[in-house]
Amino acid sequence: MLLVWASTPVVAGAQWLNYPTPGIPRLATGAPDLKAPAPRTPDGKPDFSGMWFANVPSKDYCREKDCIQEERMAREQINLGLNLKGGLPYTEWSREQMKIRGANGGREDPHSYCMPPNFPRAWTLPQHSRIVQTPGMLVILHEFNAAYREVYLDGRPLPVNPNPTWNGYSTGHWEGDTLVIETNGIRDDMWLDIQGSPVTESARITERLKRPNFGLMQVEIAVNDPKAYTRPWSVTIEMAIQVDTQMLEEICLDNERDTKLYKK
Amino acid sequence: MTHRLFRLPVLAGICLALAPAAWAHHSQSEYDLKGKVEVEGTVTKVEWKSPHAWVYVDVTDDKGQTVNWSFELPSPVTLMRRGWTRDSLKPGDRISVAGAPARNFPAIAIANSIRDSTGKPLFTGTTKTYEQ
Repeated sequence: MLLVWASTPVVAGAQWLNYPTPGIPRLATGAPDLKAPAPRTPDGKPDFSGMWFANVPSKDYCREKDCIQEERMAREQINLGLNLKGGLPYTEWSREQMKIRGANGGREDPHSYCMPPNFPRAWTLPQHSRIVQTPGMLVILHEFNAAYREVYLDGRPLPVNPNPTWNGYSTGHWEGDTLVIETNGIRDDMWLDIQGSPVTESARITERLKRPNFGLMQVEIAVNDPKAYTRPWSVTIEMAIQVDTQMLEEICLDNERDTKLYKK
Repeated sequence: MTHRLFRLPVLAGICLALAPAAWAHHSQSEYDLKGKVEVEGTVTKVEWKSPHAWVYVDVTDDKGQTVNWSFELPSPVTLMRRGWTRDSLKPGDRISVAGAPARNFPAIAIANSIRDSTGKPLFTGTTKTYEQ
């Protein structure tokens, strides 16, 4: 295990950014015991509750020595198929879409215009997520635009011909210690990553959540979208628990100025 | 500096312009990331708002004219996680800034380095994190 404590200049009382998270396993040093067993709910299911961020090191991708523009993120934020042999199996339609999307340096990315942090892309974004797990529903909060996503665990079926939305409609069921989330009803114009990998209304997305220990969550993302991909595919994103911190509001439209700089 | 991002198998034509920042909500193609801007001046305003903080700096040019530069910073959320607050930089502070210029607009840049009047780097803390 590699434990990284930052050389951050700690600011006492800066909200709850350093307030100890109660009730978590800790080592004698006071650091969280990341290898401790995953917590479980009273009915014995793994409990995914907690704050999560992609399992990447701090001070990652520093552009300059001072590292103001630290580029800490899941690599899959650029290309979700990064670790898929041969890459994502784009259809010809998808390849044409990506030419259009990439033609202007990716500036047409909905994320640039402060659109919602759509899942599954949101797992790779540089903002934090918080999972709140109850017996009948998993709620995923996301810092970007203070967004939310509901995953129903009450056995209901996926909706038929639903009105498309950014996060679609999600239900979950248990397969052993794996929570299987099925999603349909997403929009036709979403990007899965910065390079513009498409996903369409015809997609059925399956996410398989596993928590092998306290510190780690694995999210397998499987996409079946015959319009955009020649075959179903899946990738896995690793998420690291975030403790002794808090969710911070990041409302993109508050002071969005960059899109105005794209063209004179 | 070799950027590890550039070794990733991205599609042709979507390379440097799409190199994102952890805090970024946008592609950064509005900046010439190979370009260099270095100025010294006095802070006139700090916008501590999402999705990016901005700092404005009065800079005296070679002709004695004062130009108000705008520098883009990471998001306040990212900066706060790295130990900074809205009061870390204030109007009246003397700073030097190095960054990359906007392609299409004068006196606008993205900041890569900010130092105070003693040369001490600012906004350089890293995020506390746990990885396995």
